[in-house]
Amino acid sequence: MATVTHTAPPPLVTRRKVGWARARRYVLPLVGLAVALAFLGPYIVMVLNSLRPSSDVVQTPPTFLPRTWQWSTFSQVLGDQRFLNWLKTSLLVATSSTIIVVLAAIPAAYFTARFRFPGRIAFLFLVLITQMFAPTSLVVGLYREFFELNLVNTYLALILTNSAFNLAFAIWILHGFFSSIPKEVEESAHLDGCGRFGTLIRIMLPLSLPGVVTAVIFTFIAAWNEYVVALTLMLDDAKKPLTVGITSYVTGYEQHWDQLFAASIIAIIPVVILFAFIEKHLVGGLTAGSIK
Amino acid sequence: MARKMTALIAGAGAAALVLSACSGGSGSGTAGGGSSSGAAKVTSIKLVAAEYSKDHTAAFWKQFADKYKAKTGITLDVQVVSWDSIDQQSSTMIQNNNAPDLLNLNVYASYAKDKLLYSADEVLAPAIKADVLDAFVKSGTYQGKMYGMPDLSSARALFYNKDLFTKAGIANPPKTWDEFEADAKKIQALGSGNIGYAMPLGPEESQGEFSIWTFNNGGDWKTAGKWSINSPKNVDTLTFLKKLSVTDKVTQNNPGKTNRAQAFDLFKSGKAGMVVGFSPLAGALDTDKKVNYAVAPMPTKEAGGTPQTFGVTDYLMSFKKPGNQAAVKAFYDLYYQKDQVNQFIKAEGFLPVTKSGLEIFASDPKLKVYLATLPNIHLTPTDDPTWDKVKLAVQQNIGAGVSANGDPQAVLTALQKAAENGG
Amino acid sequence: MADPLSDAVAEPGRMPVPATAPRRRRRSRGGDTPIGVALLWLGPALLLILGVVVFPAYELVKAAFSRYSITGLRLGDAGTTNFKNVLDHPDLITVLTNTVIWVVVVVALTVLVSLALAQFLAKDFFGRKVVRWAIIVPWAASLVITAKLFTLIYDYYYGTLNMILQTLHITSGPIDFLGDDRWTMPSMIMVGIFVSVPFTAYVFVAGLNAIPGDVYEAAKIDGARPWQTYWRITLPLLRPALVVASVLNIIYVFNSFPIIYTLNDRNPGYLHDTTITFMYKLAFKSAEKDVGMSAAAGIFNVILILIVIAIYLRTLKWQEQED
Repeated sequence: MATVTHTAPPPLVTRRKVGWARARRYVLPLVGLAVALAFLGPYIVMVLNSLRPSSDVVQTPPTFLPRTWQWSTFSQVLGDQRFLNWLKTSLLVATSSTIIVVLAAIPAAYFTARFRFPGRIAFLFLVLITQMFAPTSLVVGLYREFFELNLVNTYLALILTNSAFNLAFAIWILHGFFSSIPKEVEESAHLDGCGRFGTLIRIMLPLSLPGVVTAVIFTFIAAWNEYVVALTLMLDDAKKPLTVGITSYVTGYEQHWDQLFAASIIAIIPVVILFAFIEKHLVGGLTAGSIK
Repeated sequence: MARKMTALIAGAGAAALVLSACSGGSGSGTAGGGSSSGAAKVTSIKLVAAEYSKDHTAAFWKQFADKYKAKTGITLDVQVVSWDSIDQQSSTMIQNNNAPDLLNLNVYASYAKDKLLYSADEVLAPAIKADVLDAFVKSGTYQGKMYGMPDLSSARALFYNKDLFTKAGIANPPKTWDEFEADAKKIQALGSGNIGYAMPLGPEESQGEFSIWTFNNGGDWKTAGKWSINSPKNVDTLTFLKKLSVTDKVTQNNPGKTNRAQAFDLFKSGKAGMVVGFSPLAGALDTDKKVNYAVAPMPTKEAGGTPQTFGVTDYLMSFKKPGNQAAVKAFYDLYYQKDQVNQFIKAEGFLPVTKSGLEIFASDPKLKVYLATLPNIHLTPTDDPTWDKVKLAVQQNIGAGVSANGDPQAVLTALQKAAENGG
Repeated sequence: MADPLSDAVAEPGRMPVPATAPRRRRRSRGGDTPIGVALLWLGPALLLILGVVVFPAYELVKAAFSRYSITGLRLGDAGTTNFKNVLDHPDLITVLTNTVIWVVVVVALTVLVSLALAQFLAKDFFGRKVVRWAIIVPWAASLVITAKLFTLIYDYYYGTLNMILQTLHITSGPIDFLGDDRWTMPSMIMVGIFVSVPFTAYVFVAGLNAIPGDVYEAAKIDGARPWQTYWRITLPLLRPALVVASVLNIIYVFNSFPIIYTLNDRNPGYLHDTTITFMYKLAFKSAEKDVGMSAAAGIFNVILILIVIAIYLRTLKWQEQED
């Protein structure tokens, strides 16, 4: 490449560049604040609504800040055994589904990425198709199936359902990631005596950690927020997940908006915690290394 | 090529295995019913109950289930479902031939028509049936047999804001429609966001709101056994309601898209002068202690008429399944015990369904307005299976009649046609 | 159907095969791995998908060809009556139009906003971490709750939005966001974009991070201005991310139920429904209350989204060849 001799740049450009560099320090955080407020705004309203009596939430005319502050809602909700049962169910179902998805998707994606076999295209096609079915339309069939298997009202049914629905995305993401790792890496592992499975565990997984993390966060959030299937399959109140349970707070005859919103805020926290732990790996994961 | 064939066969085999393991019966016919005599007795039965309130419904059924088990040795599985998803739940169960043994719903006649239910002769003790208020026996009877056992009832009345009335210079609640219109106008004229009358004609329960107005005009859904939805009296009622909304502008914004909860919120905020309410609203108002309210009978169209009360009852119906007849009978025996049924009704804030219950609740001064009219209460035609569909059509369409370019005659005629065609 | 996803993704290490001999290629590759071994690796995933998605889909098809009573009781076979009834439904055109508007506008605006947001988040500034965390919240909250929250915010009488607009003197009187037919679709679209931007933005941030820095250096040396750099370099390199994001969004937005259903809770009829809520209401809330018809609508839904995705991916491949 020919070397380019830079003469002194025109003064105007320098001044603009330097001026921007200085303003940058203040402008960007301000824009950041605006963006954060835009996304948190409605949830700030939710927090405020959980700190006022339910009747104040639907009072006309409305006020932004509560007319009377009510601090007891959170402890009331956390002390409610029904709520704690729902929380327990959500944690159990979301965590188990995530684990199953990871365990099932990794081998499937690796195998489809690396080896040709009869039905490979069909399998990938099947995976894509399953993403397109709305759970709402499959709910009756699911109920029938689990009823025949005597699994209605069991945690297992919900875990299996959430795992299956999220498998497609996980396989898709991991497939792309595995595909982009150069074959040479594996070949050298083979030379060192690693079997197929060993290669997967020791070489491919660490290299595709962002992909795994992506699958984890997507599956966890999807399972945590799933509503329609849980509504139909879980009969006992104690076995309902949070999404279904908290709808009890607002019925046609009685509305407890304060408790509904307090419970919803508590429900967001586990997801944010999970996200905080894995955030730095997530950013690398979402395009499955496709650019390289 | 051989490998491909093996693959195909293996794949098809796996799929077939999965499908055959999962496919049950063919699905047509009864919902798993059959003659119950001679079949083995069940050890547990299932109740799908509607959730009236977060705090009371589940608690009541839990203690009920404990008592039931102690008495009969049979387990009662209770599934409490919210009102907005109970239709979906029950439909899913029946589609899969897995109807519960007992279902708490606001209709029953279609299920009776599909021959899914036990009649009172089979599961209800004669003494209990005699105790149920006649109006409810009638509404629960389809083709001469009673299938819909009432669990609780509610009646509507006119709630008004005494402070707003005083401010507007109104001495007494209105007795006729003309008085009502004038009073609403006076309150609306007070300004500062005050509304004359909060009118919920949204899809949640518009049939209720329309019912109470038209009953007091001499109109009805059915007359002499035939549908009369677009009768002149009904059209007159809907035209009046449209007038209130569009011409007089004394209602809240967009009545055709307001449900009860929002109308009640306006009244509870002290902004609405009048609203048609029921006992749960009174309970909420008493807890909040913000609004100085009173309850009055509905105004009639002409002076000197007898105010009609519109009432609603929900039903506890039982499904025919092998071996559960005795268990179901024991359920009703226990439920209609004075201490059980009335405990439930009191906790949820509703009205009794039995004559003995009337006596017990008579001591509550707040319920006087409703109890006096309860025996003559006017209900929607829940004993007609077509009503189940017509009700849904009404909910989806009647609100359009009170909008700015709504045509009450056309809306009601369309509903009449739908009813005559079987819904 | 060819595997469009791995085609969009680079596959280094594969020997290019002459296009003139496709049949030979399939035969020699087909026997690479025995089906038994494949089943071992794919087994759990295959079982889950077959059991939990394929079987209920089969049930859905069965239901679409059956006749049901209003109670849900299956009365017998219906042939193609249900499908005919759906196609003859007077509100079908409205519902389809709504669906097209809903999907196109939400996906397009989500992608645009997310691109800008990702560009912003890729810069390093004080408080960036907080902003990144803030964006997660709409994604972390359940759609049902967010939808219920917005019903309150949009309310005519006690809604926060009307209160803010009137306090800032942007409007003089309240707007009926949910009930006024002109405002309902825009209100729903705002919520749709609001909940879709978070994960889409993250897809683009990841895509941006994967672009090596020297590409920008070279562009700067060649004197490219920021806009040219973005258009000619960044966007093409973001193509795989764009494909992933748009396909996912099209599917999710098309199948999105809670937002439309909850925001239309007080609206009668089907005026603002999309095909998904239409399907649900046919079964449980409408005057028809027909489960068979709803199943037929469900089948149409799947076919519709299949066609949309197929067309979209075909267009992409065609564009790729044009480049």
